[in-house]
Amino acid sequence: MRNNTKSPAAEKTQTVVAEPSRQRPRKARFDTSPYLFILPFVIFCLALLLYPVVYSLTLSFRQATVDTFVSGDMPFNGLTQYQAAVADPVFWRAVINTVLFAFFSILFQFTIGFLLALFFQADFPCKNFCLALLLIPWVSPVLTAANIFKGLFNGTGPVNQICHLIGFGPFPWLAEPAYAFPATIVANIWIGFPFNFILLYAGMRSIPAEVYEAARIDGAHFWKRVTHITLPMLKPVSVAVLTLGTIYTVKVFDLVFVMTGGGPANGTQLLSTYAYQVGFSLLNFGEAAAIATLMVLLVLLLNLVQLLLQRR
Amino acid sequence: MSFFANLPRWWITVAALVVSAVLLSPFYWVLVGSFMTPAELFGGHMSLWPSHFAFGNWSAALNRLRPHIQNSLIVSTVASIGTLLITAPAAYGLVWRKPRGRRTLMAFMLMTQMLPAIVFVIPLFIEFTKVNLVNTLPGLILADMTFTIPFALIMLSAYMKDLPYELVEAALVDGAGQLRAFLTIVLPMTLPGLITVGVFSFLIPWGDLIFALSLITEDNLQPLTLQLYKALGQYGVDWGFLLPGSVLTAIPAVLFVVVASRFIVAGVTRGAIK
Repeated sequence: MRNNTKSPAAEKTQTVVAEPSRQRPRKARFDTSPYLFILPFVIFCLALLLYPVVYSLTLSFRQATVDTFVSGDMPFNGLTQYQAAVADPVFWRAVINTVLFAFFSILFQFTIGFLLALFFQADFPCKNFCLALLLIPWVSPVLTAANIFKGLFNGTGPVNQICHLIGFGPFPWLAEPAYAFPATIVANIWIGFPFNFILLYAGMRSIPAEVYEAARIDGAHFWKRVTHITLPMLKPVSVAVLTLGTIYTVKVFDLVFVMTGGGPANGTQLLSTYAYQVGFSLLNFGEAAAIATLMVLLVLLLNLVQLLLQRR
Repeated sequence: MSFFANLPRWWITVAALVVSAVLLSPFYWVLVGSFMTPAELFGGHMSLWPSHFAFGNWSAALNRLRPHIQNSLIVSTVASIGTLLITAPAAYGLVWRKPRGRRTLMAFMLMTQMLPAIVFVIPLFIEFTKVNLVNTLPGLILADMTFTIPFALIMLSAYMKDLPYELVEAALVDGAGQLRAFLTIVLPMTLPGLITVGVFSFLIPWGDLIFALSLITEDNLQPLTLQLYKALGQYGVDWGFLLPGSVLTAIPAVLFVVVASRFIVAGVTRGAIK
């Protein structure tokens, strides 16, 4: 109302008066610009990250199979999906496989990464070149690695050829569960060691040289310096590497899906491949969502166990 | 500190090259194998070098994969640019402009890293079916961005923390608008970070299989990875096609590593140590 009654002249004087104060930020007004910077991001998060997560969680309490999916109404049925999931022996096979897969992958990835990082503490010509080369397994698509190892472990492939040269085999690598499972772990170690290597390398670099120098003067040998200085001082980095390693390894899907498809006879079935199979082969989205939720709980549980072990 | 304190440095280089060669031998196998006939590859005795180069593998694979390489290029490029357009202002805003709820947002980003892909795959498949985004490249791009956006935001936030904010403040005092300060000061100063994150945001969709597998069934829309996966099952494994295809899939990543190794090492370690 007041604005409408203003004469054009009055409005003009007002803007002129307002001019000098523009130089200073007006504190009283709410500053919207931070929110404009993050607006597209927040919209994306709500629509394509938060919404799916909530959807997946609620779906796990609904009956979502082919018929209900087509008809569009997916009735709530409480814990039925979870009960169906844990009643299936294949689920427990997948849980055990996932835990073993994670344990052995991380054990070897970390060990190889640690030894390499130790080696690369020395300065030598072409170091950056070697470092870059060693990152290739990690940055190239998982599909490439899966195809490579599918070939290497082929019945008449290079692994059996080498076994033959030293008088063993041939082994039915991808044809029998007892051999296929370690084969997928070997492939996953190959994909993951560079990640461990590079983080541990950077962690070791940040340990001051004087500490080592002091120990050396005190007569501590190389391995003594490693166990008494490097390992304890590297602990924060190691914890980060192991935590991330656990999260990434439990999530592994492409590698096993391409190499073995979870077979033979569910011998390499992980929770990730099993959930996908239940969802997209059996078209039981509700149960697949329930398995996905249980996977998240497994990651939390494994990290908790790790945390407790590290406290010791 | 080094175990090899008394050795000549070139000996260490030789040792490092030997270690690298052993660890990368699987890659050597796929590279050399892509030029071999399946008979020579799996003929029963080791061959470290093709007896004659079967270039036919490569030309056949390239011909068959050309449209799918194009799909992969479109998806990865658009996803990468979209990721940067969304996360660069957001990372700056969250780190320096301190909006409310930023801690919750950052915590949520870290949480998404923990979730298995299937948590996103099923809801996106169901919802995209309803809005006709299944079997479209935009649908695949949006889905792939659920991987790249949290990752890019976490990495870019680390870069933004190193930004000398006084320069931005000085520009604002001199009368530059928020947007102009962002475009002319923040973006140029974080360029190395933007490039690294941009390349990773290209490589992640490039290597994606699970979203392509669940969202794209039409053959002419399939990206490279899905086409290679499909080639596995049909009539036994066609190694003469699969190996060149696998090498092809790895080319962007290998190029990136060779060109920008220093950037990656700095970028990866920065995010993790801080």
